[in-house]
Amino acid sequence: MTKAKPHTNEPGIRSRGAIEESTPQLAGDYISIRVPIPPASAFNRDRPITSLIQSQLKHIHHAESARLLKHKRVGIKLEDIRTEAEAATYIAAVTKVLHPKGQKKSKPQPGN
Amino acid sequence: MPPGLDALKHIVVLMMENRSFDHMLGSLKAVNPLIDGVDGTQWNPDTQGNKVFAQPLAEFQSQLDPDPDHHFPAVDLQIFNGDQSNPRVANMQGFVKSYYQQRKDLAHSQKIMYYFPEDKLPVLTSLATNFAVFNRWFASIPGPTICNRAFAHYGTSFGQVGMKMFYPHGKSIYERLEDAGHTAKLYYFDQASSTMEVVNLLQHQPQLFGTYDQFLADCKSGKLSDYSFVEPNYTDHDNDNGAQLASDQHPDHNIQAGELYIASVYNAIRSNPALWASTALLIVYDEHGGIFDHVPPPACIPDGYSAGPADTELNFTFNFDRLGVRVPAILISPWVPKGIVVDSERVFEHASIPATVTKQFIGNYTASTPREQAAQTFLDLLSLDTMRTDSLVFST
Repeated sequence: MTKAKPHTNEPGIRSRGAIEESTPQLAGDYISIRVPIPPASAFNRDRPITSLIQSQLKHIHHAESARLLKHKRVGIKLEDIRTEAEAATYIAAVTKVLHPKGQKKSKPQPGN
Repeated sequence: MPPGLDALKHIVVLMMENRSFDHMLGSLKAVNPLIDGVDGTQWNPDTQGNKVFAQPLAEFQSQLDPDPDHHFPAVDLQIFNGDQSNPRVANMQGFVKSYYQQRKDLAHSQKIMYYFPEDKLPVLTSLATNFAVFNRWFASIPGPTICNRAFAHYGTSFGQVGMKMFYPHGKSIYERLEDAGHTAKLYYFDQASSTMEVVNLLQHQPQLFGTYDQFLADCKSGKLSDYSFVEPNYTDHDNDNGAQLASDQHPDHNIQAGELYIASVYNAIRSNPALWASTALLIVYDEHGGIFDHVPPPACIPDGYSAGPADTELNFTFNFDRLGVRVPAILISPWVPKGIVVDSERVFEHASIPATVTKQFIGNYTASTPREQAAQTFLDLLSLDTMRTDSLVFST
């Protein structure tokens, strides 16, 4: 039996999808608990970054400076990063270099 | 050896962000009086001297904005209510005063006392009441994220009480395990979230890292390392799967997204019967995030470091001789008796993580820090003679 694919346009979909993919099929004595889905309004890629993310940016920047020659650096100034999405873009770019194995493998398209 | 320990092959730690014990699990006192939570009698004074009682009014989002201060000076105020004399008594009376300083709004400052009713957190509370919940798991430092998370990786923060952690010179638990012929992995959510506190390890030892997708795949295939540390998503961002909600529960991120994430980590382990039988999952929060808890942090074995006034931003030196504020911690395994509450006499902190992992997989290890050597370990909680067959299943 094929499981229905989760919708892909809702925030938090990876966690939701993971629950649906990994919900155990158990025999015996178990309690089933329903986990509410956050509203779409919870998602805010423009949220200003906290001191925690500022600190992460500094650490990532430190690694970038130590690891990459100047001409190979991402070219984003930390002081220009104000939102979570901007921080994520920079962090992804540096992490991609530090840990290329962390890249998501693209799935083959149907018919290919 | 108890059969649960005999069967144990994997330890998984999921560390969430910035919520206190009372805020997340305090309501469970009404379910089980052995759980040292809140019952409506706990209070803090506000800046006008009025009593502000803890109330079950916490919301999933938009209530704790701005992010409550949880850096060293603010936490000192929260714990000691402004008393900087020596000796002094930790009374947990300064939370409202501390939060007031950020917006100067009396009504808003009172929200720092709010906690979640049990039914608003079905994942965390059901895990707490079906497995083992710790009455006394404290952050390692009365300070912010990075220094606290360092204790989970190194058993020390190398003298830091803040967010600087560039070149730690001790061996992380992951390197220790590799040296001893064991396997270890840190799973970050995705490249846009990356790792929070150990970028130095990502830079120099990328083989130690994986992504959340890989964690799910490793659980499914049964290829999980001996020790795994799982990080949540720290930002709202987009990736190939679409919009990703931050799942770390750090204010002001959505609490329900964190509940989903916790459930998915649990389900991933639970859905592989062989893995379930051989794994202990610890869910723990790095620090309290400036949010009220009523249990004073106890003194602890000094760490061998001192942080002077330049670092503490107060007029005294901190000798790493007191723990941070209490945080939620739950141990999950089919070998743990149902619904046990770990005694208040047993004090745990994040150094308990490398101490436990080292004890289980390496044994004698003399290079650990004084704090780690003194830390309680928790695998004795896998005490059942036969594995439980009852279980929880989470679905959306």
